[in-house]
Amino acid sequence: MLSRVAQAAAVLLGVAVLVFAILQLVPGDPVRIALGTRYTEETAAALRARSGLDQPVLVQFWTWFTGALTGDLGVSFRSGDPVTALIVERLPATLSLAGMSILVALLIAVPLGTVSALRPRTTVDGVATVFSQAGISIPDFWMGILLIVFVAPLLALPTGGYVPLTEDPAGWLRAVILPAVTVGVTSGSILTRFVRSSLIEAADAEHVRTARSKGLTRPTVLGWHVMRNALLPFVTVVGVQLAYLLSGVVVVEIVFSYPGLGELALQAVQSRDFPLLQGAVLLFAVVFLVINLLVDLSYAALDPRVGTR
Amino acid sequence: MRLQTRSRALVRLAAATATALALAACSTGGGVEGEGLEEAPDADTDATDEAGGGATGDAPTGTLVAAITGTPDQFDPHSTSAYASFQVLENVYDTLVVPNAEDLTFEPSLAESWETSEDGLTWTFTLREGVTFHDGSEFDSADVAYSYNRIIDEQLANSFRFANVESIDTPDPQTVVLNLSAPTPNLLANIGGFKGMAILPEGAAEDLDLANEANGTGPFTLESTSAGGAEVAAFDGYWGEGPFVEGVEFRYVPESAAALTALRNGDIDWTDNVPPQDIATLEGEEGVELGQVGSTDYYYVAFDTTEPPFDDVDVRRAIATAVDREAIAEAATFGAGTANQTAIPEGSFFASDYAPFPADAAAAEQLLADAGVEDLSFEIMVPSTAPQAVTAAEVLSSQLAEIGVTATPDTVEEGAFLSRQGEGDFDAFSWSWIGNLDPFGYYHAQHLTDGGFNFQGYSNEQVDELLQQASTETDQDARKELYDQAVEIIVDEVSYLYYYNPDVVQAWSGDLSGYTVRPDRAINFDTVQLGG
Repeated sequence: MLSRVAQAAAVLLGVAVLVFAILQLVPGDPVRIALGTRYTEETAAALRARSGLDQPVLVQFWTWFTGALTGDLGVSFRSGDPVTALIVERLPATLSLAGMSILVALLIAVPLGTVSALRPRTTVDGVATVFSQAGISIPDFWMGILLIVFVAPLLALPTGGYVPLTEDPAGWLRAVILPAVTVGVTSGSILTRFVRSSLIEAADAEHVRTARSKGLTRPTVLGWHVMRNALLPFVTVVGVQLAYLLSGVVVVEIVFSYPGLGELALQAVQSRDFPLLQGAVLLFAVVFLVINLLVDLSYAALDPRVGTR
Repeated sequence: MRLQTRSRALVRLAAATATALALAACSTGGGVEGEGLEEAPDADTDATDEAGGGATGDAPTGTLVAAITGTPDQFDPHSTSAYASFQVLENVYDTLVVPNAEDLTFEPSLAESWETSEDGLTWTFTLREGVTFHDGSEFDSADVAYSYNRIIDEQLANSFRFANVESIDTPDPQTVVLNLSAPTPNLLANIGGFKGMAILPEGAAEDLDLANEANGTGPFTLESTSAGGAEVAAFDGYWGEGPFVEGVEFRYVPESAAALTALRNGDIDWTDNVPPQDIATLEGEEGVELGQVGSTDYYYVAFDTTEPPFDDVDVRRAIATAVDREAIAEAATFGAGTANQTAIPEGSFFASDYAPFPADAAAAEQLLADAGVEDLSFEIMVPSTAPQAVTAAEVLSSQLAEIGVTATPDTVEEGAFLSRQGEGDFDAFSWSWIGNLDPFGYYHAQHLTDGGFNFQGYSNEQVDELLQQASTETDQDARKELYDQAVEIIVDEVSYLYYYNPDVVQAWSGDLSGYTVRPDRAINFDTVQLGG
């Protein structure tokens, strides 16, 4: 397990170098681009000095990287605020959306996938398959707009914005639910198919047949022998989905004017706010790595054999 | 001024009472004062008296919810360049002078009057008395000097507007004198054209975190800012009329479907997020008001005049003759734009009706043949962030195809656009200039030989001379004459090929009254009332 953590750290370093290098390679002077029509020699020099862009590239990288390790991601070109503060401000909104989305996805996937696994190639299974196909195919932005135009007025839900959970739980739920459904339906559709196939596969395993032949009841076989074995790959997929959710909610956050990390990252792209963009991309990478690490670690918990490998 | 000493709760109570009274009055069709006050319980009557001091309709009622398209980057008026920031700050800060809503000529704001010396080198402003900042401190000439010197000394984004200002004197608290190195007829536009020239109280940059806090003299105080929006509250001590609402909640809504659904649902009261293609639908809708007015913006295409074939003025003229501007304006704005062959829209004092190009494909083809150009093919660079410019380039491309010219729109990311523009790496490019007020802003940087934004490399000595002269001519009629002459040459030689002036389009709920759509896109909520 230790080696797995070390591996993650190495990947992280690689990612940091890559994030930094790619933005170095973007053609054009970032300062000129960031300032746009406000560009003068003076404003450019001031911004360069403020952002440390007047230093050699290696010094810049080292300053940025060591800063990042201590949680200091530099200062935004656009607003002059610390990047870390900007990201932290957006974190609760995106975590709320991601958490709620995965809940929606599980609420769709687990019952639907289980039902169609229990009755493969029946009408129920067919309906579930069509539903999940549709869910995967409909683009998020389109789904979001449909919900805004048709569902929001019907249920008197807000068409955008975010209310902190600590301030007003009901308002929080109302703000989060539509974007969460938008993201959750897509994830849920993917998961449904996964639950179905892994349950069918697990149900086919030898030890299950043995259990059945021992005369155990259906629910016992399903709950104990099938589900537990199907859980392992399922955790992987849920983990990957969660990581995607955290970084992939950009479109949904824009459609719902939801002030989360995705919206912040897009703003950074649009205004070519390099320090902010670097910070956001690095954070996404870290989230991916950490979730993957947790998934790996959870294998050991779920299946002791994995840990000994 | 009695109001200032009262508690907030009392004001709220008064506001609520006033709403109730106003509603009662509306339903009976009677006068607001007499009938309403008789019916009101004793405690409420007191509150109403204190707050309204007479007409109950004057007490601010309700919070306006405004959905704006962009997200402010920060709230320091001297540092930001984001339109979204100014939409909020417009209601928080004041400038010495302001453009009026109709013809954008300048009228008093924090300065009550001003005088220019004979030689045009000294401008003396007399400041309004009895103005206070949101924190209660008095406004005087030291605040003006502090604000302007901050912009100049720290070389902030707007310091170029003070290029001609040598010194700022404050002989007494009510007087500010700007000493100039050259006559500057567009000085009022420089110091009052937008809230980037806001007057802050002395020491504001040290006392406050200006990126997130504000202390202005405007009708509203900045209460809170967050990732999703900003809230402002009515300022009791505002020197002008109003405000008539308790506050404004600005929400950042980039997606127009969300903004319009929210407007229809009554979740928001006002939005500027109205795509041109939705205008027709909204016009017929009950409970939705649509405001539309010609703007001071313009869209154009420019050619690299330093390289063949566009170094030949006849080739540029041929293209200009082939263009059907009406069709471009229609396609790019769905009719919410006015075709124009010069930059300044009709209705402005400085507008010119010069329009030498008729939209004649046959004539264009002939001109091109006369210039000896065959199989002309080039790229029009457009920034991906400007959908109207992209559409305009596409329509232009199809129009030019009719005369055998292959013009391929090349949509590039805005950053790449800016750098390629700066390096002169283009055949032609298409974009817009927005928020122009004075002809200086329309023509100088773009067409002077060494103009900062003359990327097309246009150079004409006579134009240089006329523009230079116009920049120091203090007589407005003479100044217009100079601009008219310069514009005629600029248009004739196609330094820019102007397409159209787009409209400003905004939508609001039927409950909202007293709002004016302005050509300069400034949004002011100090005159707005709810529940009308």
